[in-house]
Amino acid sequence: MKLDSKIPEGRLEDKWSNYQLKSRLINPANKKKLNVIVVGAGLAGSGAAATLAELGYDVQCFCYQDSARRAHSVAAQGGMNAAKNYQHDGDSVFRMFYDALKGGDFRSREANTYRLAELSAPLIDHYVQQGVPFAREYGGVLINRSFGGVQVERTFYARGQTGQQLVLAAYSQLYKMVRAKKVKMMVRHEMLDLVLIDGKAKGIIARDLVTGQIKRFAADAVVLATGGYSRVFRLSTLAIGCNGSAIWKAHKRGAYFAAPSFTQIHPTALPQTSDSQSKLTLMSESLRNDGRIWVPKDKNDTRNGNDIPEEERDYYLERRYPSFGNLAPRDISSRAAKERIDAGHGVGNLKNAVYLDFKHAIERFGRDVIEDRYGNLFSMYKKITGIDAYKEPMKISPAAHFSMGGLWVDYELMTTIPGLYAIGECNYADHGANRLGANSLLQASIDGYFILPNTINNYLEDALKQDHPGVDHPEFDKVEKEVKSQIEKIMAVKGSRTVDDFHRELGKVMWQECAMSRNKQGLERAIVQIKQIHAEFWKEVRVTGTDNEMNSELEKALRLADFIELSLLMCTDALQRDESCGAHFREEYQTEEGEAVRNDEDFAYVSAWEYNAGDFILHKEKLEFEYVQPSVRSYK
Amino acid sequence: MFFKKSIMAGTGLFLSIFLIVHLSANCLLLLPESMARELYNAYSTILRESIVITIVAYLLYLSIILHVVYAAIVTYKNYKASPDRYMMNHTNETSSWSSQNMGLLGVFILLFIVIHMANFWARIKLGLGDGVGFDAAGNLDVYEVTYSLFQNIYFVVFYSIMMIPLGLHLNHALKSAFKTLGFYHKKGLRVLAKISLVYAVVIAVGFGIIPLIVYLK
Amino acid sequence: MKVTFKIWRQDSPKSKGVLKSYETDGISEDMSFLEALDHLNEILVAKNEKVVAFEYDCREGICGQCGLFINGRAHGPHEHTTACQLHMRSFKDGDTIVVEPWRAAAFPIIKDLVVDRSAFDRIIEKGGYISAKTGTAPEANAMLIPKEIADASMDVAACIGCGACVATCKNASAALFTSAKINHLNKLPQGKPEQHRRVLDMTAQMEAEGFGSCTLTGACEVECPAGISIASIAEMNNRYVRAKLLG
Repeated sequence: MKLDSKIPEGRLEDKWSNYQLKSRLINPANKKKLNVIVVGAGLAGSGAAATLAELGYDVQCFCYQDSARRAHSVAAQGGMNAAKNYQHDGDSVFRMFYDALKGGDFRSREANTYRLAELSAPLIDHYVQQGVPFAREYGGVLINRSFGGVQVERTFYARGQTGQQLVLAAYSQLYKMVRAKKVKMMVRHEMLDLVLIDGKAKGIIARDLVTGQIKRFAADAVVLATGGYSRVFRLSTLAIGCNGSAIWKAHKRGAYFAAPSFTQIHPTALPQTSDSQSKLTLMSESLRNDGRIWVPKDKNDTRNGNDIPEEERDYYLERRYPSFGNLAPRDISSRAAKERIDAGHGVGNLKNAVYLDFKHAIERFGRDVIEDRYGNLFSMYKKITGIDAYKEPMKISPAAHFSMGGLWVDYELMTTIPGLYAIGECNYADHGANRLGANSLLQASIDGYFILPNTINNYLEDALKQDHPGVDHPEFDKVEKEVKSQIEKIMAVKGSRTVDDFHRELGKVMWQECAMSRNKQGLERAIVQIKQIHAEFWKEVRVTGTDNEMNSELEKALRLADFIELSLLMCTDALQRDESCGAHFREEYQTEEGEAVRNDEDFAYVSAWEYNAGDFILHKEKLEFEYVQPSVRSYK
Repeated sequence: MFFKKSIMAGTGLFLSIFLIVHLSANCLLLLPESMARELYNAYSTILRESIVITIVAYLLYLSIILHVVYAAIVTYKNYKASPDRYMMNHTNETSSWSSQNMGLLGVFILLFIVIHMANFWARIKLGLGDGVGFDAAGNLDVYEVTYSLFQNIYFVVFYSIMMIPLGLHLNHALKSAFKTLGFYHKKGLRVLAKISLVYAVVIAVGFGIIPLIVYLK
Repeated sequence: MKVTFKIWRQDSPKSKGVLKSYETDGISEDMSFLEALDHLNEILVAKNEKVVAFEYDCREGICGQCGLFINGRAHGPHEHTTACQLHMRSFKDGDTIVVEPWRAAAFPIIKDLVVDRSAFDRIIEKGGYISAKTGTAPEANAMLIPKEIADASMDVAACIGCGACVATCKNASAALFTSAKINHLNKLPQGKPEQHRRVLDMTAQMEAEGFGSCTLTGACEVECPAGISIASIAEMNNRYVRAKLLG
């Protein structure tokens, strides 16, 4: 199948308006006859479900949590970018577009990334109107702050809880439409498979997580808004329930998976302290404004951080990147930390962390100033570690964070399966090989509120004229049977190892070979190991309880089974990309100083993988750059 | 819920004001005996004969009844809202004992009011029990009723001790009544908490100490 | 360290629950409370027993999904802390820890430590939003909102919807939760057009769900992970009175 990105005609700045002018419309009376399923109720899902319902469609919205307000978009702390140029500092839509494209190391479509920047300004208007209490000046206007990778102040924020406040706005709009009886909210329901009829997405099979019942849901289109899959590493900044099952099932039913190996590793999370740890908590990137990162020069130094004299410390970011120093971009900082840790200079019990030291900042500005800037982060650090970071350096460590990769989508956010859309983090669209800070809330929101509700008409207009097959269609029987048999199969293994045990094993392999830096041998080794884990999993996993009750072990097992398969594709993708770009760093492709070497000649494409009975077929969507010439990212 | 709580807050505040008036009258008992008897009896005669005070008195009875009835209803509904109790409960660490036991304290206070009214109201207003004489000025000798009651150490102890639940109840009640009625100014609430405490202490100590002083007179 | 958990086990909403004792070894001080329960569940799987059902998601104190009554306190012994941010270093080797679900008539138990908090969603449904369709918003800076008002709104908007306020309240009152959402929106100019309707509808739903009434004990503000003050409840009462009179 040829990949058609459906980029509209016209100049870059006219493409989206041209698209809207030409797209088809459906009259309100007819919209009532159409039914859309939205899977996921985070920023993208809630926004899409609420807006589609406002437009008149009947919507069924699903989430695995007990309420739509829990979706992991809540965890974003820093803020959301928008090209409002309120600060009069030379910002513009084009500059924002350029920053995102360059930040992504020129591995995304110009038209998509431009639209991201273009729709950012109306999105701020929209959220303000919905009651998001963004930070304000005394005079009542909105405040901005700066964020990594850019030179202007364009980030809007609501204390350290921007994500949560945006989710609450979206969730409240969703429930407004529940009250209007236009959205049916299905909480504690997890999508387990996609149903295609004549090659088109026409419904899903979901499991009721309370009763264990397998249920069918039919619709005229299906929208996936299921977030990122970095839990494949087990230890990540994601919520424990985050998973890749919905997109993986869609992939197996025919949706191409784009750039699965592009995973952002965040440099400032709290380190792992033991094997039983479940989660790595993110500390805001803003700490790097005043904190200095270092490791002991001596590998075997077991002294406390404070006892190590200046001359025996290696401030490696300042040493390697003198002009950006501690504020080097996320991917570069993470890799530099990994390099030091791998060389044996890590600190902490497991020697897996580096110091983030505020001693100098406190000496220079005084404790009060530091407390004013980061007080909440320091108290959170103390809550989790029990350590007072005003007195001792923090220990931080890189952690898996964001999935740039996801289902391949065209300009309309439709996957390669007609009628199946992917929005928010679960698609691959705007961020290229590395996402800039404060762009993820933005992308999820505009996908859900602004883009999808415009583009989906184009497809539904046709669907209107066709049959609306119900859940009694034989395809539903068939898929439901497959889902049930997978559950039976997993319950029947009755092996000797827990799901978490397998997840830890998989996570270690993926973290070692397919995270911050990769190489051919490592990836090939990982593929062998993952296949072994796969085989072992289906022989030795043990799920207790039954499948017709609330059973967290079964939920985890089903998700892990998909993660194992997905991790194979991630390694396969990383292996084929013989270059270093953005978050994807192949050790074979670096300069003598250890900097990434991108290869635009051979790899200026989006890899889009087709599933073929356990194997993967690569398709390439060539990226054309008409308005921006790809340049080398240098932070020296 | 808001209606019921507002009734409780409103009647409670009304009763709280009454307590101040009542306490200031009681202070007359602290004067030297002849003066106390004369003023106290004169005062109570004025009260009995005033139409305004009669209306206020009926409002008081009504307030007590409403306060008790709605307390019973709210308590029952609250019980229904959390019928299953925790096996281990340390919520006493998060809020004061009295705030968690306003109902219990209220029962003590109600018990006290019944006995108090039997001691005074029933004798003076209804003429039940021993008759009440007149003083030199021809006023009903209410002072004598009080004085003789507080010659009995059991009554003195009862009256004094029962002021403890009253004080605890009032301390939580006064500040809460304002919040229930919608006063939410943060600084104001902090001041209010202090006023509540002072008020509760003054009322409880004031009412509690007078019988003792009368006994020792 | 070794810890004995006494955990409420209840198979289904209708069945009778009971506290069961589980001894565990190999708990480390750095584990979060939920990781200690993960650890217990792995032990149970090894013994071929059903795992303890409990709720969690973000494990960083913001999603509000975890909710456990630990040793007689909502979210455990610390103030303003969620169960996922409670760590085992707060307990001693050899401790017995009692873990129960939130108990309130409006939060029926689903299984073990999992309760149904959908009553909160239904309260939001009755007006916890601003009726503004996508695409209808005016320019953001066209509406000036003084910093004091934006900050005060943010103070209450911080509610994570965990239900600790209900769990710790002797009356199982949802006043703190409901007031937080009402005040968040009613303080802002965007929320004014619907302010009276919002207060009346949301409080009516709160009562219909079977939550108790607020007697202002103040326990909720001590446990609230977002540190919301009970002044918020007083403010809701104020808005209610105004809505009754003016609305």
